Amino acid sequence: MLPLGCSRRLVAELRDALDTCAERQRQLEQSLRVSRRLLRTWEPAETPTPTPEPTPGPETNEEAPSSAGTPSPQDLKELELLTQALEKAVRVRKGISKAGERDKASSQKSGSIATSATTAAAPHRASQTKLPRGTRQATRPAKGLPKPKLLSAGDQTCIGRGPLAAKPGPGLRDQQIAPSAAPQAPEAFTLKEKGTLLRLPMAFRKAASQNSCLWAQLSSTQTSDSMDATTSSKTQFLQKMQVTSGWPSSGLSAAEVEAEVGRLQKACLLLRLRMEEELARDPTDWMQEYRSLLTLEGLQAIVGQCLHRLRELQPVVEQQLGPWPEERLPMASLPCGGGAEPTWSPQLLLYSSTRELQTLAALRLRVDMLDQQIHLEKVLMAELLPLVSMQEPLGPPQLALCRAVHSLLCEGGQHFLTILRDEPAD
Amino acid sequence: MGRRRRPAELAGAAGALPEAIAALSRALPAGPSPETFRRAKFDRPEAAPALWRLLFRVLSPPRADGASASRALEAQARWVKAALLTQGYPRLRLARLPDDGSQGSRELLLALSWLLARKPLLEPLLARTRVRLGDELPAFECGALASPSLPAPRLEADGPVDACHLQWLMGKLRFRWRNLMASQQEQCALLGKIHMYTRGCHSDCRLGHLSVAETELLRDPEGGRQLLRRLESENARLGAALEWWRRELVFWQWMDTVLGACPPEAPQPACPPGLGGRGRTAGAWDPAVWELQALQEELQAAVGARRAAWAARVRGQGPEWSAARQAAQEATREAVGRELAALRQAWERGGGPQPHGPLRLVRTEAGAPGGPGLRAVEAIGALKSREACLEAALHQLQAQCRQQLARLAGALPGLLWIPPPGR
Repeated sequence: MLPLGCSRRLVAELRDALDTCAERQRQLEQSLRVSRRLLRTWEPAETPTPTPEPTPGPETNEEAPSSAGTPSPQDLKELELLTQALEKAVRVRKGISKAGERDKASSQKSGSIATSATTAAAPHRASQTKLPRGTRQATRPAKGLPKPKLLSAGDQTCIGRGPLAAKPGPGLRDQQIAPSAAPQAPEAFTLKEKGTLLRLPMAFRKAASQNSCLWAQLSSTQTSDSMDATTSSKTQFLQKMQVTSGWPSSGLSAAEVEAEVGRLQKACLLLRLRMEEELARDPTDWMQEYRSLLTLEGLQAIVGQCLHRLRELQPVVEQQLGPWPEERLPMASLPCGGGAEPTWSPQLLLYSSTRELQTLAALRLRVDMLDQQIHLEKVLMAELLPLVSMQEPLGPPQLALCRAVHSLLCEGGQHFLTILRDEPAD
Repeated sequence: MGRRRRPAELAGAAGALPEAIAALSRALPAGPSPETFRRAKFDRPEAAPALWRLLFRVLSPPRADGASASRALEAQARWVKAALLTQGYPRLRLARLPDDGSQGSRELLLALSWLLARKPLLEPLLARTRVRLGDELPAFECGALASPSLPAPRLEADGPVDACHLQWLMGKLRFRWRNLMASQQEQCALLGKIHMYTRGCHSDCRLGHLSVAETELLRDPEGGRQLLRRLESENARLGAALEWWRRELVFWQWMDTVLGACPPEAPQPACPPGLGGRGRTAGAWDPAVWELQALQEELQAAVGARRAAWAARVRGQGPEWSAARQAAQEATREAVGRELAALRQAWERGGGPQPHGPLRLVRTEAGAPGGPGLRAVEAIGALKSREACLEAALHQLQAQCRQQLARLAGALPGLLWIPPPGR
């Protein structure tokens, strides 16, 4: 058994790591759910109360309750013809008028132009046709609602208004409008087939463009230096704060010192790697030999500087402010990107194939995982190596501990070495 | 008091200060009302809780917002005090405020201004809660995985555990990572499809296709409405932040008067009071020194050997050989200097090759020239080199452990240590 304090700390670290992983998994699964749902057939939207309205006109829609019988072949044929005629009309119109803001119709059924999957088998159901562009609705829901503007071009989908409630509302009143209403064969909406027809609603587009505009302004005000009066008054304020404080300035804050020590640790690691790389090389000519020598000397100089810096920090490290040990304060409560982040508007990451994206994501995960492993390795080393070095007696428990520690530290807990007692054969 | 607008440069404009404070309070997350600010100037106790909560919100790390926001005022107050002190807040009075969060509004106002003055505060806060319209790869901040989350009180009084338990936990961790990898691959495949199917739909031609969030809002109008609301409220906050920046000069002038209204502090001895132990940094300081010292010794040995070899070589040649090679040596010296300077950047700047900020994924055709943006190929290259570096670092640590354990093993005679196969 490991000592109590050591156990607790190590278990806490490992649990932290496990929790981080679990959190990430949870977020990923949420995204997966959303994406999978998007790629399936889109269900008709929520509203639970269907309001089937009687529709005038023979050739126009009928709200066929699901109990209605299957459509006759003749109806189907008519439907086909009407669909094609409508498509053509719409194509012609598209060439004339511009892409539909003012649109219409059955985009009431915001987003989903689907029949439910189960009833897709029954092709004929009461449906609303997509009105060609330019027709207006007598009643429209408030324009604050985001609605997709479905281009009618080539769009043969119609809002499947089955017994499964379509959204009540203006869509049903379409039939009053003239060119309307050839009932069309409702088809399920899948992203694969019809995805290119989607358009974002106007309100959303406005908000989004305003958003990116504001972010751009934000980043430009940050980089501009026109705030001289403000900057100097801020500096003055800070100085006054320091002067009226209770004690003389101690220079670096604890957070800064911690960050510095962390940087120097990273420096040590990188310098060591570079040194080993250099030592592993075999210089073949005098030029390489010289270069190697210079590199090693340069590394030595840098190490000296780092040590010097660390020693300078010692007095600050010794006097710590405030209660720390129980509450593990975050190392950097402000983001640790180097200095000012120049742009907060998202830059683009362009990829060209799914394989590329997968490689990128896998590498990203791998880097994060390695980061975590290195951190854990350091923590384990700090706790376990002293334990093992202190053990004096050679009994089996100590050996077992050595073996376990070796496995944890050197093999990532995956492999074990074997310890044999080397006794002369009797 | 007229409502005429005056430029912010004209100090003392009566209308400018309330507007500046109003803008600030709109821009901050959970910003207190402007009235709170005014009360805080006069150190009114009723303004204190709101300011404690605000500071807690502002100083907490990004991931911790959910659970910890509901902690009691006292816990938050204690945490804020500790956090401010670690950041180097200079005033002693803060440490003396009572923990119950009932007093100190003026001091807290000063603390907030101090944070605002030192570094950009609003922008990172806004960026943290930014509405993400595009699809992004999870871009974690440097070391975020390794850093501790906000202290959730761990009440389990665990007993001592076995090394086996640790091994079990490590195995569990490995398993979770594998799961994560698999899920991530699937998500990428789905993203690729969605991007491909919606190409040509976006009004912004640089993007070309919809993201998951945008497609989802088309599918689910209710969700779409919520997204729109969030966007609009973010726009409002951004607008407030911009207005704040235009007006903030009056605020700083006002803060001068607030500072002036404070009673003067008695000068204290150089060493601040109330310290317990050496704190966390000290724990990291010692090993850092040892490691660097060990490295220094190794380098000394290596350099000594190489220098001797070089001196021997130069002696063997004549003086004209050295003269002839001067130029080349100079060039080499410069090259090495540059290389080492670049190496320094790796830890000093802290950023390395990773691009900062969020990256929106955009699918393009393979041959297309493409607009501005980072190419996946470059990102992959950068990540690969980082991966190699990290793997080397990990192996190096493991090798160190192996050496130390081997030394210990050597001290125990009569045993054979057989390393696991494959080594």
